[in-house]
Order: sequence, then C-alpha cells, then structure tokens
Amino acid sequence: MAMRVVALAGNPNVGKTTIFNALTGMRQHVGNWPGVTVEKKEGVFEYNGERFLVVDLPGTYSLTAHSIDELVARNFLLNGKPDVVVNIVDATSILRNLFLTMEIFEMGIKNVVIALNKMDLAEKKGIKIDVKKMGEIMGVPVVPMSAKEGIGLRELKDIIHRVSHGEISPAPIAPRYDPEVEREISHISNILSETELSKRYPLRWLAIKLLQRDDEVMKLVLRYLGEEKLREIMTHIGEAEERYGRAMDLILASQKYEFIDNLMHKFIRYMKSEGPSLTDQLDRLLIHPLYGFMTLALVFYVIFKFVFALGLPLQKILGDAFSSFGTWLAPHISSEVLKGLIVDGIISGVGTVLSFFPLVFLLFLSLSILEDVGYMARVAVLMEKLMRKFGLPGKAIIPLILGLGCNVPAVMATRSLDDEKDRLVAMFINPFIPCSARLSVISFITAAFFTSNHALVAVSIYLIAIVVALLSAKFVSSFLVKVEESPFVIELPEYLIPSWKTVLLHSWERSKEFVKKAGTVILVGSLVIWYLSNYPVPMGEGKSYAERIGMFFEPYMRLMGLDWKAAVSLLFGIIAKENVISTYGILYGSEGALVGVMSTLQAYVLAIVTTLYIPCIATIAAIRMESNWKWAALVTFYMITIASMIGIIIWHVGTALGY
Amino acid sequence: MGTLEDVLQCILEGKRDPEEISRELGMSVQKVKDAIQILKSLGYIEEVEKGSGTCSTCPLRKVCGGSCLLPKAKAYQLTKKSFSLKDHS
Repeated sequence: MAMRVVALAGNPNVGKTTIFNALTGMRQHVGNWPGVTVEKKEGVFEYNGERFLVVDLPGTYSLTAHSIDELVARNFLLNGKPDVVVNIVDATSILRNLFLTMEIFEMGIKNVVIALNKMDLAEKKGIKIDVKKMGEIMGVPVVPMSAKEGIGLRELKDIIHRVSHGEISPAPIAPRYDPEVEREISHISNILSETELSKRYPLRWLAIKLLQRDDEVMKLVLRYLGEEKLREIMTHIGEAEERYGRAMDLILASQKYEFIDNLMHKFIRYMKSEGPSLTDQLDRLLIHPLYGFMTLALVFYVIFKFVFALGLPLQKILGDAFSSFGTWLAPHISSEVLKGLIVDGIISGVGTVLSFFPLVFLLFLSLSILEDVGYMARVAVLMEKLMRKFGLPGKAIIPLILGLGCNVPAVMATRSLDDEKDRLVAMFINPFIPCSARLSVISFITAAFFTSNHALVAVSIYLIAIVVALLSAKFVSSFLVKVEESPFVIELPEYLIPSWKTVLLHSWERSKEFVKKAGTVILVGSLVIWYLSNYPVPMGEGKSYAERIGMFFEPYMRLMGLDWKAAVSLLFGIIAKENVISTYGILYGSEGALVGVMSTLQAYVLAIVTTLYIPCIATIAAIRMESNWKWAALVTFYMITIASMIGIIIWHVGTALGY
Repeated sequence: MGTLEDVLQCILEGKRDPEEISRELGMSVQKVKDAIQILKSLGYIEEVEKGSGTCSTCPLRKVCGGSCLLPKAKAYQLTKKSFSLKDHS
C-alpha cells in the first residue's frame, strides 16, 4: 500500500524542522527539489501500523511565488496532492502565521491540520489561545504543541492519521474580501469556468492569483484561455486598480490581513498588557539621540579600558619574549648581514606588531560580544539617524560598521546601495572609519606614550575619526554628489545572552587576519624597511635610503611636529597600516628609545594622522574597482589633506597650550 | 487603508524603525514586524544585502577568513513596486 503523504508548511523559524525531526527521527532523506537548488527533506513515520511520508516544504510567509521557496511550496501543495497538510503556526505570532494559513485555505486544500507550536512561549508572554474555539472558527483541527519539549507530538500523529482516513473532515474558512473585490473574483471565476482549468484548479484561487498578477498563473491561464481573453481580464483588473488607486495584490493582502485580525480576536486574548518589553525600554535609552550617544561613548570607553587593562601586560610579555629571543639568537648567527636582517629586521619589525595580538584579540572579543548581544544593531540605528543629518544615505550605515573590521569589504559592501551617488558618498567616507589595523597602531602609540589614560585617548581618536567622517559626508554631499534619501526600515533583533562559543570563534577568526598579515605583508615590509635603513650605508649619517626618503618629506612633517622617521613609517603604512608599528620598531630598535625622543603631543598627532591620512593600498584598489581611478585618487588626496590639516592644528594648538 | 498599507505608507514617508511606525499607527511593534515580513513576501520591500555576498568576492577573503563585522539588525528597502505605488498616490 502506498504511503500517505504529509506536507509540512509554515513560516521560517516556527519550529518546522523540530517537528519534522521529531516525527521522522533518523528516517530522513535530503535532496533537492527538481530543477532548483532548494533543499528537499523527506522522512517517514509510523502510526497505528501505517507509514506516512513527511515532506518538509521550504519556510515561507505566503505563497505569492515571489521567491523560489514560495514557488516550490506552492507547486507541491497544488500538484503534489498531499493527503494531509500540516500547517505549523507559531502561537506567539499568530497574525503573521495565519496569513500563510489563509493562502493554503484559498488554494482549496481541505485536509489541513494546524500544529499550534510554541504554546509554552505564548503562555509565558501572556497569550491565551482557546484552541477548541480556534479549531471551530478555522474549520480545521488545531493541535497545541511545544515541539522542543516533545509536547503534542502523539496528538499530532493521531490527528494526521484520522484526517488522512477521513475520520475528520476539515472545512477550512475562506477569507472574504469587500464586495467590489468579491465581484471581481466572481467575474474572473465565471470566465475561467468555461475552460478545462475548472477541472484541475480551484477557480476562486486562480481568480485571486490573476488579480494579484501572478506570473505563473497568468502563463497557465494563457494556455487555456488564449491571449485575447487573458488581455481582456487583465484590462479589467487594471481598471479596478485605477478605481482603488493601488495594486490589487496589496488590496487583497491588506484585506486578508484585516480578515485574520478580526478572526483571531475571537479565540485569542492577551493577558499581559502589551506595554513596552524590556527590549523596548532598553532601546528607548540606547537609540535615544542624546543618551544613546552618551551610552555609546561610555561603552567604548569601558571596552578600551578592558582591552588595555588586560591586553597591555600580555603585550609586554610578548614584546619582551620577542626581544629576548632576538638577544638570544644574535650570537648564534655569524653573518652580520643575516643577523641584522633576522634580529633587527624580522624580529624587531614583525615581533613588535605581533606583540599587539592580545589587544587586537580582546577588542574583537568585545565587539563580538556587543554584536551577539544585539548592541551593534542599536549602534547602527543610532549612527544612521546621525548620518542622515549629515547628508549620508541611511543605508550606508552597514558598510560603515563593516569598516570597523576592514575597509576593503566595507567598500565592496557599498554595492548594496542601489543609487550610484549613494555609493560614491559611502565609499568616500568609509576609509575614515578606523579599521582593526589602525586599532593596532592606536594601541601601540597609546600604550607607549600614555601611561594612565589609554582608554580615553583611544576613544578620543575614534571620536575624531567619526566626526571627520560625518563632516566629510556633509562636504561631499553638499558640493560633490547630491544624495537623495531613499526610504528604508531597520528591524532590531531581541537582546540575547551571547553564546561564548560563537563569540570566541568569531574573535579568533577576525584576529587570525592580524597574524596572517604579520607573516606576509608586514614581514615583507619589515625586510624592505630594514634594507632601506641599512643600505647603502647604515642609518645615522643621513645617507641610508630610508633617511633620504624621510628627509625629502621632513619639511612637511615638521608642520605637524613629526620627523623623517614618521614620514617613512606613514609611507610604509600605505601598504598595510600595521607597517607603521614595524617601521618604528626597526628605525628605533625599541619602544623605550621611541618614548625617549617623542613627546606625548607628537605621539597623539602621529596616532591621529595615521588614523586619517590615507586608505591602505587594498582599500584604494577596492574604491577604484567599485568606482573609478578619479574617485579613488580624490578620496586619497582628500584624506591626506584633511589628516595634514588636523595634524597641523593639533600640533600648533597643543604647543601653544604648553603640551 | 489596512495595516499593511499603513505600514508601507509609513516607510514611504521615511519612518525608519518598527517602533517609530508602531507609535505612529498605534499598534504593537510585533504587529509592525509581522506586516514587514508579509510586505517582503509580497515583493514590496526587500532585505538589504549586508555584505555577506560581497565577502565571498572580497580579495582579502583568503587572509581574513571571511569573518566581517556585521550588525544583526535587518534592513529593508522599498522595491520598485512600492515606488510605483508612491507615484500613483
């Protein structure tokens, strides 16, 4: 005897997979739906000595065929002729879920069972559902369930069995529309009734789909009705839309939504007042235009405090370890050139950069926690509100947040902006957002020069970078590219307790970049700098290549209170920002030597200029790839100008104030 | 107009987050979020690609392991279908 087929249909995240697994256990088969790359899961369960084939349909919110998932689910329900359709409904979100239920009912499918899942959660939220009444009103059996706890599973199997054997005959309620829409449905149904379609499909459903201008149904009707008749129907629909002033699919969906809203109040009660939840209350503070920014500054201050407090001792241990390793290794290398290359070049350069790994890891750990908790999403909303005031398109916030990790994918992510002008502005300001590489430079400088207030200095540099980004956005959107705001909406996630496994995994994945770069770009950079500082003669008499290059730029650097070594460092920082650290490591030999020759004001200027002065070469290439050479050159020139101006101002104001 | 049309109208007018829309329409935030999902399935709004797509084509992917910093917020933008609605009104 052929197995009876049970289709599982429902919205995404309603517990469909949990129910599928609970029903079928290990007896599952995973493949693809014919002709598409949508996963098809089938499994078997036994009940009362009978076997049932369960087909897990893709999770969808409706059956409008706008996505491949919807089309797959709809085609199976229409043509797969399942014996029973189990519609899984999330009891905590009935209104949205019943929209799909009504679409299934409209297809003329009778053998439907509603599996009302997450009943335990609904109860906790104070949602009281009269299941019996719901069944009566909906016209189909309703099985209350908490699939995660295994509650209701046996009852569901029993109802499936009984429905499939005709012991229960469901009579699903059909959504009704206003009289004018109903007249249109009748009119189209009458035309279609003259064709063979009436034998294969429910005419009311076909009429509704035609009113919604459903491509698939239009093709189907064309085959049976011919072009002229179809055109006549579509013209008629067009006239109805003119009268309503809106598309029919929106009118139908809207009326269906109201129909469900009225219906559900007959069997659902909200025991707790629908006052603001904890998430809503927290959001009122965290995305408030004033308190939100104060909280943001405080959060980042605490993060830096944590990163420096825990990271600096570890950095010192690593730094000392590299230094000791160099000291130990030096006598073992007989060749002076090789000794210089390995000890002064590789160990001093790469080692100095690598010693900052604990700080980078801790910062990524902090950001991952904020991301997992849901706070970064609030930062996105907060910044978006601010960005709009400065002429930036709101949607640009996503690439900007990405920029905190790395500016290259951030520039590429501007592709999500449809408007070319929006993209140009977003690309223009993206390199101002301090990436993780610049964080290591900021950490290096603050750790070396600022003994007690690292966190405050780091936060101030980030703040300056953000302010400069916003002012630049204002400048570019006022004078270079006029941006028109396009509507969009941001949906915030619930706050969650972070999963430590996920947080640690993300932090490690992100920090790995730092180590990999140290072994590649920074290693090569260190070797080049070592060569330049030792040839044709060692540094000290102004004749090495590094000194000659640095001296060329020194007059300009002096305007910011910096010397030729800063010029060389910044020059190599264009390849990768971490090279600023390795260059200083090689040119000065040790952190102590560096601290001895630079004042805190000079260090602060260097940190600011490094953060703002130029995109790294990979970011410049990404901007060129996503726009053109001219725009990449303009961004580079603009950043050099702005960084120089700010450097000069801070140096002169600081000097005048006696720092 | 019904809930779906009201929510869509609010987005067209520039309201940015479900809470703002819920205040404007006097309905729960959950109801607004539900409406957004339905509007998405109807093709009136679409989710903004957050960068996971660009990540796979990023030249630095081999170095960074493709673990970009992405906020968990979902952003939705209006589709051409919605703008035709705006033009109509």
